[in-house]
Amino acid sequence: MRAASDKERPVENTRSASVTTPSDREIVITRAFNAPRTIVFDAWTKAEHVAHWWDPSGAPLAVCEIDLRPTGAFRFVHGGPDGTKHPFAGIYREISAPARLVFTTRNSPSGAESVGTLVFSEHAGKTTLTMTIECESMADRDAMLKMGVVAGTTRTLDNLDEYLRAIG
Amino acid sequence: MAINERTDPLTRTFAALADPTRRAILARLASGDADVSELMKPFALSQPTISKHLLVLERAGLVARGRDAQRRPRTLVAVPLKSIAEWVEAYRHFWEQKFASLDHYLRDLQKKEKRHARSKR
Repeated sequence: MRAASDKERPVENTRSASVTTPSDREIVITRAFNAPRTIVFDAWTKAEHVAHWWDPSGAPLAVCEIDLRPTGAFRFVHGGPDGTKHPFAGIYREISAPARLVFTTRNSPSGAESVGTLVFSEHAGKTTLTMTIECESMADRDAMLKMGVVAGTTRTLDNLDEYLRAIG
Repeated sequence: MAINERTDPLTRTFAALADPTRRAILARLASGDADVSELMKPFALSQPTISKHLLVLERAGLVARGRDAQRRPRTLVAVPLKSIAEWVEAYRHFWEQKFASLDHYLRDLQKKEKRHARSKR
């Protein structure tokens, strides 16, 4: 039962992302990457990088705009018919390369604003990314989690298998 | 923690799970029923504190009282956890797809950087 698992579990034990809900309005996702944090930070903040990994199908993004400064906007749009319906867009709030990136988005179904905080911490050349999504209310937070169910069904496990085969 | 009784059951479940002690109590109950005194031991908390946490968990439908009237053992009710676990897992999957993609990209990027290290610097 993942929901009841403790947030203190070390992420180094597993490459896959762990998700916890440490408070009423937050979702915390943690994932380790086998690269120094300067590279991981760049991969999140430079359009030429984001465009090539954001879509797990492997297709480059149709739109990838990044204005990397406080109050600057970003917009990531998948190619394909669903892309324009579900862009990932927002406004940067704080940029402290390579340690911290804060942005606001209105991607929740209710249109409420949420704050995303990415913390990149490096140990022995590996980076642990901790992504905290703070929503306006518990209802928004739960709606955000529910949206994961919708996203999970549109982009099926079959797609992922196909992608893994293609890159393997 | 104030719990709005008008909110839907899932919201109540999430609220109950928002506390690390309550998550630990659920983890303990997952390995078998326990009464209040048995729950006090591993957590080094007072009886009223444990009882307060148990009340929140009971209201969220996550914990039920057993039949033994003397001991009043608490038992884990996993049904509400299942729907939450499904949401969280789907959300995790959504991001894990992106992270797996990033992982692969970072690998390629570092290979390229190594290859071009001399010409770059």
